[in-house]
Amino acid sequence: MVTREWALLIFTILGQMASGALLTLMLIRAFAIRKTNVQQANRLTDGPLFIVVPIMALALLASLFHLGNLINITKAVPNLGTSWLSREVIVAVVFVVLAALYTFLQWRKLSTELIRATIGWIAALVGQFQTIAMIMVYMIRTQPAWNTFATPITFLVTSFLLGVLVVAAALVATRAIGDETQTDLLRSTLRGIAITSIALVGVEFVVLPIYVLYLSTQGASALQTMSSMFGTYTAVLVLRLLLVFVGGGVLGAYLYENAANGKERNLALLVYSAFILVLIAEAMGRFLFYATHYSIGL
Amino acid sequence: MAKQLGFYVNLANCIGCKACEIACKDRKGLPAGVRWRRVYEYSGGEWIASGNQHVPSDVFSYYVSTACMHCEKPICVEVCPTSAIRKRDDGIVVLNSDNCIGCRYCSWACPYGAPQFNEEAGVMTKCDFCVELQERGEKPACVDACPMRALEYGDIEELKAKHGGLTAVAPMPDPSLTNPAIVYGPHKDVKSAHYRGGQLKNID
Repeated sequence: MVTREWALLIFTILGQMASGALLTLMLIRAFAIRKTNVQQANRLTDGPLFIVVPIMALALLASLFHLGNLINITKAVPNLGTSWLSREVIVAVVFVVLAALYTFLQWRKLSTELIRATIGWIAALVGQFQTIAMIMVYMIRTQPAWNTFATPITFLVTSFLLGVLVVAAALVATRAIGDETQTDLLRSTLRGIAITSIALVGVEFVVLPIYVLYLSTQGASALQTMSSMFGTYTAVLVLRLLLVFVGGGVLGAYLYENAANGKERNLALLVYSAFILVLIAEAMGRFLFYATHYSIGL
Repeated sequence: MAKQLGFYVNLANCIGCKACEIACKDRKGLPAGVRWRRVYEYSGGEWIASGNQHVPSDVFSYYVSTACMHCEKPICVEVCPTSAIRKRDDGIVVLNSDNCIGCRYCSWACPYGAPQFNEEAGVMTKCDFCVELQERGEKPACVDACPMRALEYGDIEELKAKHGGLTAVAPMPDPSLTNPAIVYGPHKDVKSAHYRGGQLKNID
């Protein structure tokens, strides 16, 4: 893999993490408001909200490194009619602007709660559209390893898995200590995150064998992908599966148990390690995605 | 139907000398590594042990000279995020390097390896069918250079009428992906586009 594909790896992983994180935060807010009130919801999620924009900004910065010529950007005409790459760029910019607007309004408590929430949900939806655009960029008919059901599923799983875990890490880092209502909210939120994480890891383990079986029926280029995945990159694949199993699955189960029992001491360490392990695992998965694709033809 | 210019490659006559490739590089001043026209050697088959000697059984080899196919459904035009690639009224697919940001997405999409990256300029480049020569009534450099007269160019329908309808051979991809403007003259050992028994040889 060359520099430009590393740039794409960072862009897609961080971009998906950012959109997954904003959606997770909006859902947590809705849950917290229903359980308590707006003030308590604000106390819980206002801190973690600050992670979304920096992550997305970093993603966009990384994306610039895969371009050969930045000067020509000024002369370029967007090809929104047929190009998903064009749509992806526009949606990514709109997403970061809306997320920044929402974060700012929420931080300063400007405008009304209803308007803020509406902007927040619109930003979260645009974030999901960004993931869809990213998926469609790789669904090209001349790339049999990419043009399968596995691309949408794995991109969405990556987005939600990294989204919930980065939010969990941010929630733990900014938690209010000694406040019973907040501690209760945090515990039930972390339990929800743990269950989501375990379920998503399950999806990854179901999709992989079906994807491999499907590839075996898709002709010469797809077979090249398989032999590369199970030849050159076996170690990466095995390590990636191991890390996501331990990070999202095993630590997820421990997290659920500790959050339920109120064992505060281990909580932070558990959440941070789960996030780091899954981040490494998903980055390795994306590395395989870029390293093992073969075009049809020449 | 709108006009569609295309190439005819007579595989039976091609001897793999690569004069077309070098004429193209020379005409367009292409840097090392950038090859708008490429000649692929495709071969396969086996030798069978018979007593104390080996004899060829189904051994075959032929050359396929390939440039941009100026497809009727050009996937590069479809995916380019900056509209830098477009299809002209005469069917020629041209790339305006001034609008190219060098994202290289077209090179992922094209199954013929036609768009190629110029590292120095940071932009993609591709065969433009020697538009400037055609406008002066001259032949494209590759066609002009072929010592075997294996290359022809012109309206694709006329070429098909004259040479038959063979539009895909191994190791080329399924033509229904992009509808390439190409006609092949068959080599005696030519394999269909679905054939996977051969290999590209002497690539570097």
